[in-house]
Amino acid sequence: MSEGFTHDAWAEAVRDGRLLGATCRDCGATVGAPAAACPHCGARALAVRDLPTRGTVYTETTIEVPPAGVEERGYQVAVVDLGDTRVLGRLDDEAVTIGDDVVLAGFLDDDQGNPAPRFEAV
Amino acid sequence: MARAAVVGAGMTTFGVHDTPLQELFAAAALEALEDAGVETTDVEALYFGNAMGGQAENETHLGPTAASHVGLAGIPVQRYEDACATSANAFKNAVQAVDAGIHDVVLVGGVERCTPETGKDTAAMTRIFASASHRQYEQPAGLTFPGVFALLTKRHMHEYGTTEEQLAHVAVKNHGNGALNPRAHFGRETSVEEVLDSPVVADPFRLMDCCPFSDGASAVVVVADDLADSHDAPVDVAGVAQATGVVPIADKATPHVTQAARDAAAEAYEQAGARADAMDFAEVHDCFTGAEVLASEALGLVEDGRGGVAAADGRTARDGDVPINPSGGLKAKGHPIGATGTAQIVELAEHLRGEAGERQIADAERAVAHNLGGDAATTVVSVMEARP
Ligand SMILES: [Zn+2]
Repeated sequence: MSEGFTHDAWAEAVRDGRLLGATCRDCGATVGAPAAACPHCGARALAVRDLPTRGTVYTETTIEVPPAGVEERGYQVAVVDLGDTRVLGRLDDEAVTIGDDVVLAGFLDDDQGNPAPRFEAV
Repeated sequence: MARAAVVGAGMTTFGVHDTPLQELFAAAALEALEDAGVETTDVEALYFGNAMGGQAENETHLGPTAASHVGLAGIPVQRYEDACATSANAFKNAVQAVDAGIHDVVLVGGVERCTPETGKDTAAMTRIFASASHRQYEQPAGLTFPGVFALLTKRHMHEYGTTEEQLAHVAVKNHGNGALNPRAHFGRETSVEEVLDSPVVADPFRLMDCCPFSDGASAVVVVADDLADSHDAPVDVAGVAQATGVVPIADKATPHVTQAARDAAAEAYEQAGARADAMDFAEVHDCFTGAEVLASEALGLVEDGRGGVAAADGRTARDGDVPINPSGGLKAKGHPIGATGTAQIVELAEHLRGEAGERQIADAERAVAHNLGGDAATTVVSVMEARP
C-alpha cells in the first residue's frame, strides 16, 4: 500500500544516502516521486522499494540565473535515468552531459529544509 | 456548430505598466465590451485569470475587486490560477458554461504584472515563477523555469539533432513579427548572431531565447452560438480542450513530447472536425524558443523532430506553410502570465476578422492557440474559425 510512500519517507531516505521509489502492482510502472496512486494508471497498489543509486544522465541544464534564496550559480540540474524510473537531482562542478554515468553522492537542503539528491560523475 | 463565439476582444500593450491590477484589467475588459457592443448589465459572469498576484503583489481574492472596478459586482466571478495557462483555462470554462446553456454572455480575461520596473527584481520573480515546479522534488535542486524547458529541449536536441542556431531562428522570427505588432513588449528585430551572443540563462537558452517579464491584460467577450450573429464580427470557437500531464518532470514517460498538449490538441481538433493541416496559423506558448519547437510538433503542425528545422527553413514564418506566432509570441509580444491565454484568443480573433494590420495572415479562416502552464503539465488548445 501507499501509506509508506510519503515525502517524509523519501526525504529520510535521501538523507540516508538512498533513493526510494515505488512500483505499481497493476501496470508495472516505477515512479521516483511519492504519490498516493500510480500516476500512469491510477492504481493505489504501490510497492515502495529502494531504487538504484547509479544511473545515466537523461537530460541536464546548467542554471546561470538562480532564484532568490540560491547563492550559487552555474550549477547543474539533471534528470537521471535509473533504469526503471528517473529522478531529478543536482550536480556541482561536474559538467556531465546526456548519457554520462552518475552516482548518488549526498544531498543538499533548500532554505526550508527540503532535501534534493546530489549526484556526481562516476 | 460552434460551441460559442467571441464577439469582442481587447488587450493592453504588453510591457511596463505602473498601474494597479484592476485598472490594468479594466483597460482590456472595457475595450472588449465596447468592441462587442455589450453593456455591463448584459454580462452574466466573469471568468478571470491571475496567477501570482498573491506572491508578487500581496493581492488575492482579485475576482470581485476586478469585477467591481468595471461595474460587474453582483455577478458570479471565478478566478483561475494554472501558472502560464491561467486565462486559457478561464476561457475554456467560459466556453463550456456558454455551450452548456448556463450563461449566454460572459467576459473572460486575465491580468498580471511581472516586470522588475513595477514589482520584484529578477531573482525574486525567478523564485516566484519556480513555484510552478514541484515544491518537494524539483525546487530544492535549484530548478528554475528556464531550467525546466532547458531539460525538455536538451533531450529533444539529443534525440533529433535540434541545434542552438535553430532555436535562435525561433527568436529571430518572433521578434520580426513582434516588430509589426503595436502592442508587443519588444518592437525590434534581432539576428541569429545577436541571440547566440546573449548571455546564457540555462543552457541551451540564452537571454534572447527567453520571453520577458511583462505587465499587461487581455479580455474577450464570449456569447452563445445563437446570439453571435447579432454582433458585428463574431469569431466561432470550434473547439477548446484541456489536458494535464504527470508532475514532476522525472516521472513523465517522455518529457519532451509534452503529452498534455497532444491530448488537448487531439480533442480540440476532433471538436472542430478539422486536422492540424487545416490550421491557417497558430499562436503557441513560446515561453522559451525550445517550447515553440516542442509545441509545433505536439500540435501536429510539423513532424516530430522537425520543429527546429521548420523554424530555420522559414516554414513557421508569416509567409511560410505553417505560420506560428504572428503576434510575436510570448518571446516578443511579452508574457504577463495571467493575461497570455486570452491574449492568444485576441490575436486569433483579429486575424480571423482580417483586422491584424501589417502582420495579417492572408485569408486566415481557421487557427489554433496553445497555452501551457508549468512544465507543460497543463495545456489548453483552442481552435477558432471565421464565421461563414
Ligand atoms: Zn500503474
